[in-house]
Amino acid sequence: MSTTSRQVAVVGYAHSPVLRHVEGPLGAVALETALAAIADAGLRRDQIDGFTTGALFPSSGGGPLVDGEQIVTSEWLVEHLRLSPRWLAGFQGVGQIPGAMILAADAIAAGSADYVLVHRAMYNPPTRYHERELPLAEGRDQWSAPHGLWGPPSQMALAYMEYMQRYGASRESMAEVVVEARRNGSRIPWSHWYGRPLEREDYLDSRMVSEPISVLDCDIPVTGVGAFVLTSAERARDLPHRPVYIAGFAQGRWRSTNSLDYWTLDDIYEGGAKTAARLWESTGFGPGDVDLPQVYDGFSPMVYFWLEVLGYCGVGEAHRFVADGGIRAGSGLPVLSGGGALGNGRMHGVPQTLECYLQLSGRAGPRQLPGVEVGVACQSTPNFGGVVAYTNAPG
Amino acid sequence: MPLPPLPAPDALSAGFWQAANAGRLVVQECTECGWLAYPPDAVCPGCLTPKRSFRWRQVSGRGVLRSWTVVHTAFLPWFGPLVPYVVAAAELEEQGGLRLTARLADPPGTPLAYGAPVDTVFEELADGVAVPLIRLTPAAER
Repeated sequence: MSTTSRQVAVVGYAHSPVLRHVEGPLGAVALETALAAIADAGLRRDQIDGFTTGALFPSSGGGPLVDGEQIVTSEWLVEHLRLSPRWLAGFQGVGQIPGAMILAADAIAAGSADYVLVHRAMYNPPTRYHERELPLAEGRDQWSAPHGLWGPPSQMALAYMEYMQRYGASRESMAEVVVEARRNGSRIPWSHWYGRPLEREDYLDSRMVSEPISVLDCDIPVTGVGAFVLTSAERARDLPHRPVYIAGFAQGRWRSTNSLDYWTLDDIYEGGAKTAARLWESTGFGPGDVDLPQVYDGFSPMVYFWLEVLGYCGVGEAHRFVADGGIRAGSGLPVLSGGGALGNGRMHGVPQTLECYLQLSGRAGPRQLPGVEVGVACQSTPNFGGVVAYTNAPG
Repeated sequence: MPLPPLPAPDALSAGFWQAANAGRLVVQECTECGWLAYPPDAVCPGCLTPKRSFRWRQVSGRGVLRSWTVVHTAFLPWFGPLVPYVVAAAELEEQGGLRLTARLADPPGTPLAYGAPVDTVFEELADGVAVPLIRLTPAAER
């Protein structure tokens, strides 16, 4: 087990409304959300002495990327909060929320900061998300763009089609995933999809983007900010809410022997197995110990990949698992109880993390699940992302 | 009129595009370990040798279909008039896991099957700029 296990706790949060677009700079939303999270934790602004985020943004629609406008780094936030924290870091790459949470946990456990604010600001450009005029495909782009391969929907479609062909999966099975995410998201007041569950037929009839990926297999691009406050388990005792401890974590970076700009199914499984093994080693848990396996669903097939590598079903079996009701509310595993990205909007790893925090701190309100003690929050694909385990049981 | 996204040959890729314009499919071969890489890599993924010693190796272009996607929404505007078009992934016969990802030459709606034999043809994206396409190998040629 990791020596930092249960030494650090999440003690407060805030979440902005999830909207398609907002007037004014994204930084202002981030600042307001950060202040709300600090207040929620029962702290003063000047007590926050550490900041981190993973600011990498998936697309600006070919437009500019200006700090405070389309992205919000911790540097921007600190400057506009008029603070001089002793610890400031940024996570590079994909799996931004687990990446930032891991940095924060390590910093607090090491004594580099006492109270850390982790935020994530997401922006939806006014143009189409992935559309680009690209007269010259330079660097890595020359192996994809001249072939008409462009954007994450097509990249994910290649892995998903490989899965469907290898294991005989159908879109009918995937309807269980997307409908479940939307059903749960429709109960979340800040969600883009609040009050708007999805009918199975509407999923099956939805417009294809890159077959087999339809528009409803993709989370909808949104603008919004989530923020969390973390501190040591010891300091957390004096704060108003029940602490939710970080029990362990894992990251994955795996590309076997190719430099393709999409993931092969074999890469996803090989890398995912490493990530899952690290998670269980770091936490001392096994899959059966987790009450809330909040898998990532930015694209619906990622739900299958996480379910399989975490050990909730065998490789190639997740499509049957979900079709048999394995993730359905009430009877199945609550893997999308927080609505995920499909049920909230493209907030990257925030919904998974927030669901773990709300349920484990007993703050989920009418959605509260009884008797939950352990959750895991995943982001991106298991071979190229991260996962953090949370628990409300002190060390 | 949108412009096609033309490849920008660089130190790592120029040999590939030169060969493509001559209708030949080449991949990067490490002279130390013989590993074949596509796309070409800065460092050999097979042996990581710091020598970075490569040559171009012509491959057959034959392989099997490992995946595909039917693109209905072209985020690169030049491909808009071509939708729905198929982007295919072929595992080439020269090395396990060696993949070429390119548009399918066959017309939209052609039935596709995992593991189907494929080969490679070339098409001009613009004057003097050829790209490989993946084609279902006709039964007579299998």
